[in-house]
Amino acid sequence: MKRRKIDLAQAPVNFAKGADDRFQGATPLRGLLNKVFPDHWSFLLGEIALFSFIVLLGSGVFLTLFFDPSMKEVAYDGEYLALKGTMMSAAYESSLNLSFEVRGGLFMRQMHHWAALLFMASILVHMARVFFTGAFRKPREINWVIGVLLFLLGFFAGFTGYSLPDDGLSGTGLRIASAIMLTLPIIGTWLSASIFGGEFPGELIIGRFYIAHVLLIPGILLALIAAHLGIVFKQKHTQWPGPLRTNENVVGERMFPRYAMKQGGFFMAVFGVIALMAGLFQINPIWLFGPYRAAEVSSASQPDFYVMFMDGLVRLMPNWQIYIPIGNGYSIPPMFWPAVVGLGALFTLPMAYPWLEARKLKDKRSHHLLERPRDNPERVGIGMMAFTFFMVATISGSNDVISDKFHISLNAMTWAGRIGLLILPPLAYYISVRICLGLQQHDRQVLAHGVETGIIKRLPNGQFVEIHQPLGPVDDHGHPIPLEYAGWVVPKKMNRIGALAPAIKGFFFPVEKPAEIPVSPAVGGAVKREEIKSGR
Amino acid sequence: MTSDTPARRRGRVFSRRRGAPGRARRRLGAAVRMLAALALAGGVYTAFTPGAFAEDNVQLSAVAQEGKALYDTSCISCHGRDGQGVTERGPSLIGVGSASVEFQVGTGRMPMTRQEAQAEEKPPQFDKAQTEQLAQYVQELGGGPEIPDGPLVADIDTDPEALARGGELFRVNCTSCHGFGGGGGALSSGKFAPALHDPTAEELYAAMLTGPQNMPVFGDNQLTPEQKKQIITYIKFQLQEEKDPGGLFNLGRYGPSTEGMAIFLVGITLLVFTSLWIAGKS
Amino acid sequence: MTAVHHAGETGTPVDVNDPHLSRFDIVKEGLRRDDIEIVTYESHFHGQNSKAEKRVVRNISILFLLSGLFTLAFLVAYIWWPWHFKLGHTMSDYYTPILGITLGLGLLALGFAILAWAKKLLPHELSIQQRHGDPSSDDERLITGQTALFVADELGVQRRPLLKGAIALGSAPLGLAIAAPLVGGMIKNPHGDPEPMMYRTGFNPVANGGKPVRLTREDGSPIRPEDVSAGGQMTVFPGIPHGATNHYADSPTLLIHLRADDAATTRANAEADKNGRNKGSMWGNYVAYSKICTHAGCPASLYEQQTNRLLCPCHQSQFLITDNAQPVFGPATRRLPMLPLTVDEEGFFVAASDFKDTVGPDFWERP
Repeated sequence: MKRRKIDLAQAPVNFAKGADDRFQGATPLRGLLNKVFPDHWSFLLGEIALFSFIVLLGSGVFLTLFFDPSMKEVAYDGEYLALKGTMMSAAYESSLNLSFEVRGGLFMRQMHHWAALLFMASILVHMARVFFTGAFRKPREINWVIGVLLFLLGFFAGFTGYSLPDDGLSGTGLRIASAIMLTLPIIGTWLSASIFGGEFPGELIIGRFYIAHVLLIPGILLALIAAHLGIVFKQKHTQWPGPLRTNENVVGERMFPRYAMKQGGFFMAVFGVIALMAGLFQINPIWLFGPYRAAEVSSASQPDFYVMFMDGLVRLMPNWQIYIPIGNGYSIPPMFWPAVVGLGALFTLPMAYPWLEARKLKDKRSHHLLERPRDNPERVGIGMMAFTFFMVATISGSNDVISDKFHISLNAMTWAGRIGLLILPPLAYYISVRICLGLQQHDRQVLAHGVETGIIKRLPNGQFVEIHQPLGPVDDHGHPIPLEYAGWVVPKKMNRIGALAPAIKGFFFPVEKPAEIPVSPAVGGAVKREEIKSGR
Repeated sequence: MTSDTPARRRGRVFSRRRGAPGRARRRLGAAVRMLAALALAGGVYTAFTPGAFAEDNVQLSAVAQEGKALYDTSCISCHGRDGQGVTERGPSLIGVGSASVEFQVGTGRMPMTRQEAQAEEKPPQFDKAQTEQLAQYVQELGGGPEIPDGPLVADIDTDPEALARGGELFRVNCTSCHGFGGGGGALSSGKFAPALHDPTAEELYAAMLTGPQNMPVFGDNQLTPEQKKQIITYIKFQLQEEKDPGGLFNLGRYGPSTEGMAIFLVGITLLVFTSLWIAGKS
Repeated sequence: MTAVHHAGETGTPVDVNDPHLSRFDIVKEGLRRDDIEIVTYESHFHGQNSKAEKRVVRNISILFLLSGLFTLAFLVAYIWWPWHFKLGHTMSDYYTPILGITLGLGLLALGFAILAWAKKLLPHELSIQQRHGDPSSDDERLITGQTALFVADELGVQRRPLLKGAIALGSAPLGLAIAAPLVGGMIKNPHGDPEPMMYRTGFNPVANGGKPVRLTREDGSPIRPEDVSAGGQMTVFPGIPHGATNHYADSPTLLIHLRADDAATTRANAEADKNGRNKGSMWGNYVAYSKICTHAGCPASLYEQQTNRLLCPCHQSQFLITDNAQPVFGPATRRLPMLPLTVDEEGFFVAASDFKDTVGPDFWERP
């Protein structure tokens, strides 16, 4: 027999050769290892959503091993004394058993719920970042639309999940969902009867929501998340303007090892925060809610926070019913407007925004450099207007809790919400636009006159003036030559331009190559302004 | 009515009388004496209708005498002489019973500091003994519901089902205002259902029995004393004493409102600071 | 180590087989081919094994060890901590918190160990990659467009109208066949049931063999008038089999015993009812309203016995009991239907008939 020669050191090399023979992966792999990602804290907000989605998938699979999506009536005979003998659906019973009779089951349930809240919260924060920095502009409009769809899907994933335990609170939510379906003109009753399999609540809805919650919605979410990331990867991430940074390059770190390590570490941190919250804060104590009974309800019945804006709009809606006197008479209940039209508008308008803005600005260029919020006051105003609207609606969604805990009349809260919903958004628009313009002007002033040094000089005529340190070269009279705004942070304190010790040591290493676009051509100025690449 | 026989009560009154006799005593009518005598003789001192004693006056026990003294200094301005009520200021107390007084005064809701949507709980103005005196006085004014003697909380070792049955009754009758977690809730125009974290068993019982403020009355025909005790058992064990198994903090058991705040104030805040640190230069 | 050179997009290629090249040189050649330029590549520390470096390494190691410690604690707690739920203050109350704290801190320690490693130990780097986000050239676009059109030409559907029609007619039924079970299986006629579900509750005598339906408690026991105290309310259900279950989700009703003067007002208003539906529906000082809110279907059951309001906890609609339960605040537009009350020969409450208004949230075709 021939002795086989095995050289262990050569094994990986041979393996790699074999792999490349078959898949020709060497060049693309090198490209992947070398791909450059820009580095800014705000670029990590979307990652929180991605990582909590991974936690959601993992903990969700665990929960399905014990959950029974059946509405069959059973008598509870578990360890939780205060419900012993109570008639309940098998879904609720299995949720209780999952919480009390599965080792660590309650912890997993709470992780799943906190991860869901974190998923939706980080999507909101990430959306705000993308919006206010103009990252949705061409060529990234489609990814913005996918992002809005992800929020919408998360909304439905959250609502179906909230309904599954079939406890008192989720049944109340289902009842409202059925009522919302009923408000649809013409098809309302048909839609509700079809989805619930007859009259509310029927015996099918938990099973149907279950398959939607564990298969359909996560499937679409997964596909859209993959598309979202794929497009980011293909189009390369946006970056802030600054030295060396142009619309045609990406300045940052190579993906491996540093960027990948940061991602891995951040995943652990997100996972850790979810686990910590799941252990510290009790969430959705279904055992207190009891099984769903149509006659039982609790004060402070609210949906999870990302549905609360809709509930708030429903609460604020005046009782305006439209009667159509044809035949027996038809009606459009008031809930139709906030819950169906409002929800639709709140998702379609943001989706259309990138095109609306481009149309208004007649802007057809591709943008890879972000815009500082202050440089587009109009957009900030619109964003703040939408945000204020959302916040007033969300706060109104828990107006009963607020009025109870802060001793405000419930009726006064409702009226405050109604008025606030109309008055505060335009006010927010006006204030934020003014703030943006003010910040812009201050930037321009510093560029033109220099940084305030804090040194007061007395002129021969007795006048006091403050000495300004010019940021760029000066003319023959010692007056600064005005610099052009570069779309990035203007140093406004002496320690930012090296005149004093930097506030943070070892913050930035000087680079030799002066910036081309869009940094000002003033050479001296460019070198000094590099001190400020900090980002904050 | 009280368990004292009229004879014993009178004896006590006479033996412990001191100071100037109260206005009510001065107005003791012959008819009342007659009635009391009849009751003593026939032992049919049971039937009464609220208001029957409003005009006239019964002979008050010594405890009630003390209570009356307190009443005349602290309560009379709103509830009127002999608890007959003052229009627009305070309702009549004839027939509200000692349970009502023990709840309203014992939790500090009465006397009210000012006219407002709802009497608020505050440190009681009267101590336990004084409250009992007031209660006794109002009880003797016109009868009404009383808190029974004996334990108000079921022993869940011997009667483990009381907890679950109390829970069911709680969810049908109480949660709509007080919430699943007993955190209380808002009512219309500034009124509210208080939280159930603090009240004693006696206060809970008295509240169900008498329906203070806007709370509906749950008389003994509707919720038997046994059922009331079951509800109290549930509140005591499950909502007041039980440590929440789901975490060190229960976020007030307010549900999604506080959970939503927690995810931003804790989760998002921690992670935003983490990302600031990650991307910060060092 | 600092490497700053301006190779530009093209740069000068290097022979990677040159034995004099360091590994970093080869990496840089790869970067050049990927249009990446390393502008700064610099260690955080001065020299090898500096004091600062040692300190950072020590801290990161501590973090890794802490992570192991916490995760181990998690495992120990998971296995040995008493976890079976017990009423009252027991060790099991702390099972979930301990799992969360140990696992959370373990993961955070691991996360920050990795992050600190990437941030503090790895050299500081600044790389620039060209985007190449240019669109395809006009030629390319033209070719691709023509190729796509050629595909259509090859199929020749345009030239063969018969095929076009046949494909349409042939595949449309298939599409319908796929959709049919999905839609057909789920669709349900809300008005087609033997019992019209939108308009009938458990109080309809039809469900009870034509006899008036008793009002019962949740356990099915009937109710006498004296069971509800003045100023009290009771949730009642139809006294038929399963009457208190979710099968009759629209049936829960609130039986209220009003005080005499409030009852008088309520009666006067009920008798003066515009469409006459509430006429004669009260019994003595008792009135019964549907508990299901006409707005979104939550139980509107927050009964304020002094102000005589019913409040819905979901959207804060408020109904005035003394005035036919008209909505007085909030988003509800329609009053709560009143259940006609009477008492049968045994002295128990019965419903004289079903609700005369439609119970529950509003919908399009409600008469």
